[in-house]
Amino acid sequence: MSKLSRRDVLKAGAAAATLGFPAIIRAQSKEIVILGLWDQTGAFADVGPLNDRGMRMALEERGMKILGQPIKYITRDGATQAGTSTRRAEEAIDGEGAKFMIGPWSSGVALAVSEVAKRKKVVHLFSGGTEDISGARCHRYSFQWAASPYTAAKTVVDNFMKANPKAKRWHLLVADYAFGWSVEKYVKEVGKAHGLEFVGADRHPLGEREFSNYVQKAAANKPDAVAMINFGGDAVAGAREIFNFGLTPKVPLIMCWSSGVEELVQLAPEIRENLWVGTNFYYTADTPAAKAFVKAYRAKYSIAPGYAPSAAYSMTRMLLAGFDKAKSAEVPDVVKALEGLDMNDIVGPMHVDAATHQTLRPYFMLRCKPKSAMKDELDLADVIATGNTPLPKEYGACKDIGSL
Amino acid sequence: MNLLFGQILNGIATGMLYALMGLGLSLITGVLNIPNFAHGALFAVGAYLLATVSGYLGNFWLGLLIAPFGIALLGLAIEYLGVRRLYAAGHDYQLLFTFGLALILSEGIILVWGPVGFSHLPPPILRGGVDLGFTFYPKYRLFVMAAAGLLVVLTYLFLEKTKYGAIMRAGIENKEMVSLLGIDIHKLFTVAFALGAYLAGIAGALTAPIRGLSPGMGVDMLGIAFVVVALGGLGNLLGAIAAGILIGVAQAVVAAYWIEASTAVIFAVMALVLLVRPQGLFGIR
Repeated sequence: MSKLSRRDVLKAGAAAATLGFPAIIRAQSKEIVILGLWDQTGAFADVGPLNDRGMRMALEERGMKILGQPIKYITRDGATQAGTSTRRAEEAIDGEGAKFMIGPWSSGVALAVSEVAKRKKVVHLFSGGTEDISGARCHRYSFQWAASPYTAAKTVVDNFMKANPKAKRWHLLVADYAFGWSVEKYVKEVGKAHGLEFVGADRHPLGEREFSNYVQKAAANKPDAVAMINFGGDAVAGAREIFNFGLTPKVPLIMCWSSGVEELVQLAPEIRENLWVGTNFYYTADTPAAKAFVKAYRAKYSIAPGYAPSAAYSMTRMLLAGFDKAKSAEVPDVVKALEGLDMNDIVGPMHVDAATHQTLRPYFMLRCKPKSAMKDELDLADVIATGNTPLPKEYGACKDIGSL
Repeated sequence: MNLLFGQILNGIATGMLYALMGLGLSLITGVLNIPNFAHGALFAVGAYLLATVSGYLGNFWLGLLIAPFGIALLGLAIEYLGVRRLYAAGHDYQLLFTFGLALILSEGIILVWGPVGFSHLPPPILRGGVDLGFTFYPKYRLFVMAAAGLLVVLTYLFLEKTKYGAIMRAGIENKEMVSLLGIDIHKLFTVAFALGAYLAGIAGALTAPIRGLSPGMGVDMLGIAFVVVALGGLGNLLGAIAAGILIGVAQAVVAAYWIEASTAVIFAVMALVLLVRPQGLFGIR
C-alpha cells in the first residue's frame, strides 16, 4: 500500500476545491474591488458616513458594474489616523484584492496612504487641501480631486478684496496640519498683490473646540478681517466663538476652505452674517451633473449635499470615467487614462493635469445670506464667483512624477 | 499686558466650567469609588436638553433651570437601576457599565437630535461683548464665570456646612463606618450620583451657547474632568475646584505666548504636579 504524504493530501484538496467551486473562482477574478477609505471614528468621524453616501451613489448610478464586470465596493475605517488608515488600506489591498481606492478625508493621513498606493501600485484618488499629493510627493498612482490650494486662495482673496477693498489687515486662524499649511502659504502669497498685512496667524490642532484663547488674540490685533483656514467642527467652533466675542458681524469672517452646507447649517443665521466662504463644491452649482446629483441626494437624504459626499461622488465618477476611457480595469491602463482626462462633472469642466495629477477645476466663493433673505433653511448663501487659476509653474513642486 | 489679563480672565471662565465638571466627577468617584466614564456624556445630554427645553419654551433661563434637573434625574436612575446592581460585582463591571452607558448616551444623542451639530445662541441680553478697559470680553462668558463660580461655592458650602454634606464627605472617607452608624449608604450613593450628574448637566447647559452642540462634545470634557480629579486629588472637592481653575488659567496664559502648546499644557501641568505630589494637589490617597 502506497504511503500518502501530507503534501499529496494538500494537492488533492486544492484540486478538489478548484473543481468543486469553479464558479466562485471565476466570479472572484472578474470582480473589480474598489476601496472607500472613510473615517468612522476619530476627528472626521462625522464626515466618513457622508463620503460613503456619495461614493455609493456614484457606483449605484452605474448599477455597481463597469466594463461589464461587477464592482465590489468595500469600506474601511481609517480612524483619522495615519497608522490605522495605512494598515487597513494594506489589508484591503492584500486581503481583498482592492486595486483602486478613494480617500481618506484628512490631508495628513492621505499623504501616508498615498505612499501605500505608490508601494502597492494601486490607483488612489483623494480630495483635500494638501498640495503635496500633486506637489513634492507626487507619483503616478495618486490623483488630487480638490482644487489646488493656490486656486482656492486666489479665488477667495481676489473676490473678497473685490468686495471689501479696504479690509487689508487680516488675522489668520490655521489648522496645524498639511492642509492648513498649504492654504496659508498661498493666502499670504496672493495677499501680497492686494497689499494685505497679516497682523496675526495662529495655528490650532485638529479637533480644537476651545477657541476663546485664539479669538481673544485675534480681537487684540484689531483686524479688518479674520480668515480661518480650517475645516469641519474646527471651523464651526471658531466661527461661533468669533461671534460670541462680538467680532462678527462687524468684522467680516472668511472660511477659506469650507465644507459648505455641512458647516453652515451648524451656525445660527446671526453667526453667518458677514460670513464669506470658499469651498470646493456648493449645491447650487449651475451644472447639469450637479443638478441631477443634488436632486437625487435630497430625495434620498432630505438635505443638500456638502463638499464631503460631493467629492466622494465626483471622485468615484472620475475613476469610473478612467475605466471607460481605458476600456480596461488594469491599473497601468487606468492611470494612463486618468492622466489628461477631461470631464464635465458637478463642479463644471475638469481636467486632470498629466504632469502633476492635479485636477484643474473651478473653486467656489460664497457669501452667506442674511436671515431675512433666506427662502428656506438651506438657502444659506449665494455663489458670488468661481475661480480656476491654476498653480503657477514657479510654485509647482512636482518636477518629475516618475514611472509606473 | 492687556492680552495677558484678558487671557487670565478667559482662563478663569473656562476653569470654572472645568471645576464644575471635576467637582461632579470627584463626588461620584469619591463616594461611589467608581470612575464614571459617562460623565462626559451627561455633560453633552445636559447641553442638548437645554437647547430643546429653552427652544420649546422660548426661554433660555427656564431651559437652564430645567435641563440640569433632567440630568440629575437621569443620574438618579442610572445609579438606582444600574450602578447599584453592580456594587457586589466589583470594579471591572462598574467601569464597563459606565463606559457602555457613555456609548449609549452618545448614540442616543445621534438618534434623538441627529448626527449634525448645531448652534444655540445666548439669550439676547447676553449677546455681544463689553469693554473691560484692558480687553473686550463676551457678556455670556462673564455670566458663565459668575454662574459657575456661584455653583461651585454653593456646592462647596453644601458639602462643608450642612449635615448631609458632612455625611457625604464621611462617605468619601470611610463608607463602612458611615454604614455602621446607621446611615442608609445606598441612599447616599444615589444622592451623590444625582448631584454629580446635576453638576455635569449644568456645565453642559452653560457651555452650549459657547461651544455649540455636537454628539461628541462630551469626549473632550471627560478627559479634562479626569485630569482635574487626578490633579486635585481623588475625592478631594476643594482640590477639584483649585485644579479646574489652575488648568483653565494655565491653558489660557500659555495660549497668549505659545498658542500651539495650549492643549498640551493641560497634561504637562498634570504630569508635573503628579511627579511632585503623586496624591494630587490636596489629596491624601
